[in-house]
Amino acid sequence: MLSYITRRLLQSVPLLVGVSIIGFGLMHLAPGGPLAVYTLNPTITNQDIERIRLVLGLDQPVHIQYLKWAAGMFTGNWGNTFFGGRPVLDVILERMPATFLLMGSALSLAILIGVTIGILGAVRRYSVFDTLATTGAMVALSFPTFWFGLMAIYFFAVRLGWLPSGGMFELGEEGNPLDLLRHLVLPAIVLALVITAIWSRYARSSLLEVLHQDYMRTAKAKGLRPRERLLRHAMPNALKPLIALLGIELPALFSGALVTETIFGWPGMGRLFVDALNMKEYPILMGMIMFTALFVIAGNLIADVIIALLDPRVRLS
Amino acid sequence: MTQEPVQFNPLLWVNAGTENVPETCMFDALWDVNEKGEFIANLATKIPSKENGGISADGLVWKIELRPDVKWTDGQPFTAKDVEFTYQTIINPAVAIRSRSGFDLIKNFKVVDSTHIEIELSRSYVPFAWAWQNMHIVPQHLLSKESNINTSGFNSQPVGTGPFLLKSRTAGSHMIYERNPNYHRGAAKFRQFIHKFVPDQLVLYGQAKTGEVDYMGLSGVPGDRWREAAAIPDRDLLTTPQPWVQFVYFNCGKPQFKDPKVRKALYMALEMQKSIDDVYFGTYKRTLSYLHTSHWAYNSSLKDPTPNPEAATKLLDEAGWKVGADGVREKDGVKLKFTMSTTAGVPARQNAQALFQQNWKRIGVEMEIRNFPASVVWGEYTTKSQFDTLLVSWEPTVGMDPDYTARAHSKQIPAKTGVGSNYVQYENAEVDRLLELGVTQANIEDRKATYARIQEILAEEVPFAPHGGTYQGNLKKKQLTGIKPNGYTVNAAWNLYEWAWA
Repeated sequence: MLSYITRRLLQSVPLLVGVSIIGFGLMHLAPGGPLAVYTLNPTITNQDIERIRLVLGLDQPVHIQYLKWAAGMFTGNWGNTFFGGRPVLDVILERMPATFLLMGSALSLAILIGVTIGILGAVRRYSVFDTLATTGAMVALSFPTFWFGLMAIYFFAVRLGWLPSGGMFELGEEGNPLDLLRHLVLPAIVLALVITAIWSRYARSSLLEVLHQDYMRTAKAKGLRPRERLLRHAMPNALKPLIALLGIELPALFSGALVTETIFGWPGMGRLFVDALNMKEYPILMGMIMFTALFVIAGNLIADVIIALLDPRVRLS
Repeated sequence: MTQEPVQFNPLLWVNAGTENVPETCMFDALWDVNEKGEFIANLATKIPSKENGGISADGLVWKIELRPDVKWTDGQPFTAKDVEFTYQTIINPAVAIRSRSGFDLIKNFKVVDSTHIEIELSRSYVPFAWAWQNMHIVPQHLLSKESNINTSGFNSQPVGTGPFLLKSRTAGSHMIYERNPNYHRGAAKFRQFIHKFVPDQLVLYGQAKTGEVDYMGLSGVPGDRWREAAAIPDRDLLTTPQPWVQFVYFNCGKPQFKDPKVRKALYMALEMQKSIDDVYFGTYKRTLSYLHTSHWAYNSSLKDPTPNPEAATKLLDEAGWKVGADGVREKDGVKLKFTMSTTAGVPARQNAQALFQQNWKRIGVEMEIRNFPASVVWGEYTTKSQFDTLLVSWEPTVGMDPDYTARAHSKQIPAKTGVGSNYVQYENAEVDRLLELGVTQANIEDRKATYARIQEILAEEVPFAPHGGTYQGNLKKKQLTGIKPNGYTVNAAWNLYEWAWA
């Protein structure tokens, strides 16, 4: 097991290098660039822009810029942002807790409820509950998140005044967990709504597939009670694809939810990404690409290890 | 505000509007500009002029006297050395200063004593005062030790002379400032100032309505909600002129737009006022030049030639552009067919473009809307004059001085000379001469006449067709006093030290 994990981690090194080259290349291939923001400022002349290009090192060929960046990465230097001059790692790390909290709550809430709904729906297929759950999931998936977000703000913050409309803390209440919870409720639920819908569908179809396997019939023939058949025989097999799915979803913990964060003014990673994208903040974008790649690799590795632990048929070799 | 500042060093910021707030809270300039467009002394004791002996008769030597009683918030005294260091930083090629306009004319910078400076310019340049209004002074005793100012820790934890000190910052959410009790213009009238960022304009407006936000600045109340906002009790809607004027830019370097008659005809065909009323809900104000109608140098004798499709048709016929088989005008094998670009995803601008498209179609001109993301359209597409036409908002180039050299002088075409920002590639010898004259005239009436003539020529030759001057609807609580809408700066907090609760 240990040697497997080590090997996987070693394999991920060339993968990360590849990701960084492609990411860097695509970013520079895309038209436009960080200097465009200066064009809109009328006091900035063309010679000023050329001078800033030199200072930011954007005059050098792309491969040289990449090598400089990569050399920095090897020594643990993530570079400095173009427009604030701050270390990229600081800029990313200061946003991470907010995103972890929002995505973590939304994901766990959604998975818990979604999987439960899915299981109940599969067990009682075509029942009233199943029909309602299916319709509900379709509705949740069809409406855009921003609409749910704005409606939630309108009803719960503006009309009823029960919950704050945005932000993470009331001013002056920084660090107060109760206040944080109040602010977390709306964005977490709005975000969870869609994820719940997706997971309920996955859980339902995954369990349905298992329920129709031969060994389930055998178990029934053996005279096992329905409860036992579900928990001992069906569930472990039905959960496997869900664990793999969780591994794929893990990077979302880092990358955040752009629309929800913007509507609720949640100071997370999604907004940092969009701001960086608008400004063409290459150093921040590269930092986020690398972080996301790390999470993808870690998520898949963890999922594989868990599946191996759960399923004796899978050999990690 | 809907945007978040990322750079708090007043010499290095990029995003006007939002990054002006930390600048105003923590730093001071030698002088500021008030809502009437007049300079008011700040770190300097007075504004240099020929009358008070601050500017030599030939306009080349500027003598600046500084206040002796100003301290940095770390307790160190503010002196002429700080001003000298600020200047040296601005011209240091290794520092990513956004602009050196004006400072590049300094031939000799002399510190006479701790409160007196003498600056010698290479040529007489009246708008020089704007250069200093736009640059706030940074502390020499802290920054001179930095090996690289671009990445200095000072940029996120600055020390200034301003009315407030930065107490804490929550990324993506807000910044909290505490009052500076020793501020040289008198301590601010409230203890704490909070600059909050709410990315969604509608959500921010909601917070201004519920009272979570006391004063809503950038990007203001959405245009379609102005009427509603003005009717809210206990709130004031401040229609604040913004320095930008929106234009249709014609690239005079392209064969379709070489003839001024064609540009004039295209301008005349446009329903400018209608687009302001319908698309911008009347929140813009029609202007006929590159200045707001409220600007002191605005030429109020200009007549609006729009909309007049009949005259436009006549003018195009005269100029030899005949309607071809496909209904599009052409001359010498060139079709009167072109694209118009602006930032993608701005509904108001798209609607205005659609209206203009119809207007032109009626006179046999085909325009295709081709919008791009901001970083594309305002990159080399603009600076290397690759566009056909643009829909763009711009302010004058030297603060709010009427000088327009960078945008209209024939030596300032970056596609040809590598300098300037005359992206329309406009060339006119008389305009060149007048622009050179205007920056040397100390008498305000003489200047007014010069710029009036420039505006007249531009209105006749139309290298860019003025649309409207931008206004922003800021919303504040009635009890909050002292806020003065100021069209001469984009800085909504320009006089923060005067704000108070009634």
